[in-house]
Amino acid sequence: MTIDATMVGRSYTAAETYQVGREKIREFAEAIGDPNPAYRGDDAVAPPTFAFVLSAPALDLLLADPDLGLRLDRIVHGAQKFSYVRPIKAGDEVAATATITTVRKAGDVEVIMYETVLTSADGEQLATSTATVTHNRADA
Amino acid sequence: MKNVQVGFELPSLTVTVRREDLVRYAGAGGDFNPIHWSDRMAGALGLPGVIAHGMLTMALAARVVTDWLDDPADLVEYGVRFTKPVVVPDDDKGATVTFSAKVDKVADGLAELDITALAGEEKVLGRARAVVRAQ
Repeated sequence: MTIDATMVGRSYTAAETYQVGREKIREFAEAIGDPNPAYRGDDAVAPPTFAFVLSAPALDLLLADPDLGLRLDRIVHGAQKFSYVRPIKAGDEVAATATITTVRKAGDVEVIMYETVLTSADGEQLATSTATVTHNRADA
Repeated sequence: MKNVQVGFELPSLTVTVRREDLVRYAGAGGDFNPIHWSDRMAGALGLPGVIAHGMLTMALAARVVTDWLDDPADLVEYGVRFTKPVVVPDDDKGATVTFSAKVDKVADGLAELDITALAGEEKVLGRARAVVRAQ
């Protein structure tokens, strides 16, 4: 029920692919107040940070891994990075696999880096999301 | 594709974030962590109040870049550190964040941008960088 460097390499693949729809892209664009026409219509592409929404199902599996013993209310999102091969677009069926890449511990504080690879139904890599989260195991 | 030089400053963007924007982002982004809508839950974790989703702040900062690009597909890399939370009070004024960006490197068909996000005097994002296709 703790996390250490032996967890590096653990991988979590979302059970189902995410089917990206143009109305979800529009909803997301409106939630970030972005009127960009590229995010509307049949040929809509998703705003760049929508990749995080697609990575979330894999992250949820990582967070729920009982071996790690993580608690959501003790996690802070410290850093986030995306690399894009091409924009996510309406009609994409996206699979997400998250892999723990780094674990550092300083007392009760654990710094975990994980990388989530997003791929299309035909195996084309679309984007990579790299996140750093801090988990504090100390009792408040 | 943009033709740019080192030192070019992109048009800045000022955004006001209110509680309703956090509710909307929670729904659209699928992040229902109560620190983004409940003062009680935020306070219990030692926060000064409800804070904006880091991913919302990151999305708003990206707009400085994608508003300027001819095609958002020209964004190839984008990363930030969440250095300070954006506290969003439950009032009409909300929180105001101003985003700006400057080109600090151009090479091999790519331009690198340094992005600044200021809530009042405070930088809420650190090492916010984007790489875009450019000539």
